[in-house]
Amino acid sequence: MIYKTFQFKTLLYLLPAVFIFLTFNVIPGLTSLILSFFDFTGFETNLFKKFVGFDNFIKIYEDKYFWIALKNTFLFVFGAVFIQTGIALILSIFIFFGNFKFSVLVRSIIFFPCVLAPVSVGLVWKKILEQDGVLNSILGLDYSWLSSISLVMWLIIMVNTWQWIGYNLVIYYAGLQSMNIELLEASDIDGANWSQKIFSIVIPLLWPTTILNMILNLIGGFRAFDIVYVLTRGGPAHYSEVLASYLYYYSFAAGGPNKMGVGASVAFVIFACILTIAVARIIISKRLEQN
Amino acid sequence: MEQPKLNNYGASFKRSPIFYIITRIVVLFFIIIIIFPLLYTLSLSVRSPETVYSARYFLIPYEFSFENYIDAFVNAEQKLKVSFPRMFLNSAVVTSLSVTLIITMSIFAAFAFSHLRFPMKESLYNVMIASVAMPAQVLLIPLFYILIYLGIINTYQAVILAYAGFLIPIGILILRMFYEQIPYELTEAGTVDGASDFQLLIKVLLPLAKPAIATCVILLFLDTWNEFIYAMIFMQDATIHTVPVGLAKIGTSRYQVNIGTYSASVMITIIPVMVIFAVFQRWFIAGMTMGALKH
Repeated sequence: MIYKTFQFKTLLYLLPAVFIFLTFNVIPGLTSLILSFFDFTGFETNLFKKFVGFDNFIKIYEDKYFWIALKNTFLFVFGAVFIQTGIALILSIFIFFGNFKFSVLVRSIIFFPCVLAPVSVGLVWKKILEQDGVLNSILGLDYSWLSSISLVMWLIIMVNTWQWIGYNLVIYYAGLQSMNIELLEASDIDGANWSQKIFSIVIPLLWPTTILNMILNLIGGFRAFDIVYVLTRGGPAHYSEVLASYLYYYSFAAGGPNKMGVGASVAFVIFACILTIAVARIIISKRLEQN
Repeated sequence: MEQPKLNNYGASFKRSPIFYIITRIVVLFFIIIIIFPLLYTLSLSVRSPETVYSARYFLIPYEFSFENYIDAFVNAEQKLKVSFPRMFLNSAVVTSLSVTLIITMSIFAAFAFSHLRFPMKESLYNVMIASVAMPAQVLLIPLFYILIYLGIINTYQAVILAYAGFLIPIGILILRMFYEQIPYELTEAGTVDGASDFQLLIKVLLPLAKPAIATCVILLFLDTWNEFIYAMIFMQDATIHTVPVGLAKIGTSRYQVNIGTYSASVMITIIPVMVIFAVFQRWFIAGMTMGALKH
């Protein structure tokens, strides 16, 4: 600390950023919670005219597609947190210990999709998965992948994993590079083989990195919108809707119900999910610190 | 990102032929999975319109042609009312101004958080950390109206301010962490020499913070260049569409474009990023890895 007390000029450093942050982040965030108790469309000027209590929430509670969207969001988050992290873990260990000649190139290739726009990635995969797409030519099938109610969410998860696996990979790789190698050396002397080393030493040592990757994927999972929008627009018949795209459909989509109050109540649900997770995370990390 | 030297701890991995074979198969499999969709789209985009549905081994065109790229440019300009160069210009304006704005404000605000005293400091900081986890869509509806009330909907400013509000916490988080890692003796020596707080920030901290600023630039560049939903809803005028918005319109429009034009349009958005990535890949990977640790 340069000064012992609060100085007025500190505000000059702080105010521009805090002003923008409050006006375009905190205030809209809180307004969103309030708006979920009002009924309004995209054409109104006074949003707070029609207070409807919990009507918006009752509306989504009774809408079967809301529950599909909620289920799909959790499925998507599950895929990102467990499947994507799991594959990245295995892959990073293989690349790190596999003694590859072109390890940097391998990582760069797998990482590359992370820098692309999810829109571009979605469109690349859309053509591949279409009925006359190359996937069917390779497999010799004639299947409309993105119209399958049971498969469509898994395909979206797969495309998302394809894009972001490299991100988890490089984070794991950083974890591997800073790993304490004494245990591995000791296990060499004890004659452990490679699978024992991976499962009883490397994976447990990487646990903090695994937690980090899971948190990143969890946050990213709730954000998913772009990929769903370009791949399926929530279709077939809203069966691949996630909370974010459901919100978009209710509030902004051309040909949608244009009920922004309902959209705001969906935002409330997303907000509540993230908040629950954040609080749980703080409680868990405090518990871990105590032990 | 140096290739780690394989120490003796790698010995048992090196000795096992099974491990050697499994790693080669798995890694090769993933490389093919990653590369194939991109190569396939590239392949579609350089086929002549007559041979677009057939290729040797799914990838090698029978007849090369750049006609699809010309079609893609023409199609965007005629059907979308916004040309690809204009989309890139729009994206460049939005991205460069947002990133500059966010980083400039973060440089100063993070200094207040790390070196100065003010009331409610840690509570404000905790709100910022919490907001990083919030999905952008939560703010969508109120932001839309705030931007209407401010009279800036459908302008660059709308999206720039929305990005600034949403991404400023990331800049502040990274820079604060970095400022606080700079040894206290350095700033103390500055104070003893009679430097003002402003001089300390500009002459002592900033030159040292270059890597942290580079990290911020990379993260913010990717977040704003690739952003879709704010850009789509806050700038609905076709002439100011950014690259992802324009591309999404081409790719999901009801008036289907043919597959060659479609693929060329997608490749037009991918190739520049690919070139930038090829040049700066170390910085991208290091930046995103460092950025992840902020959580």
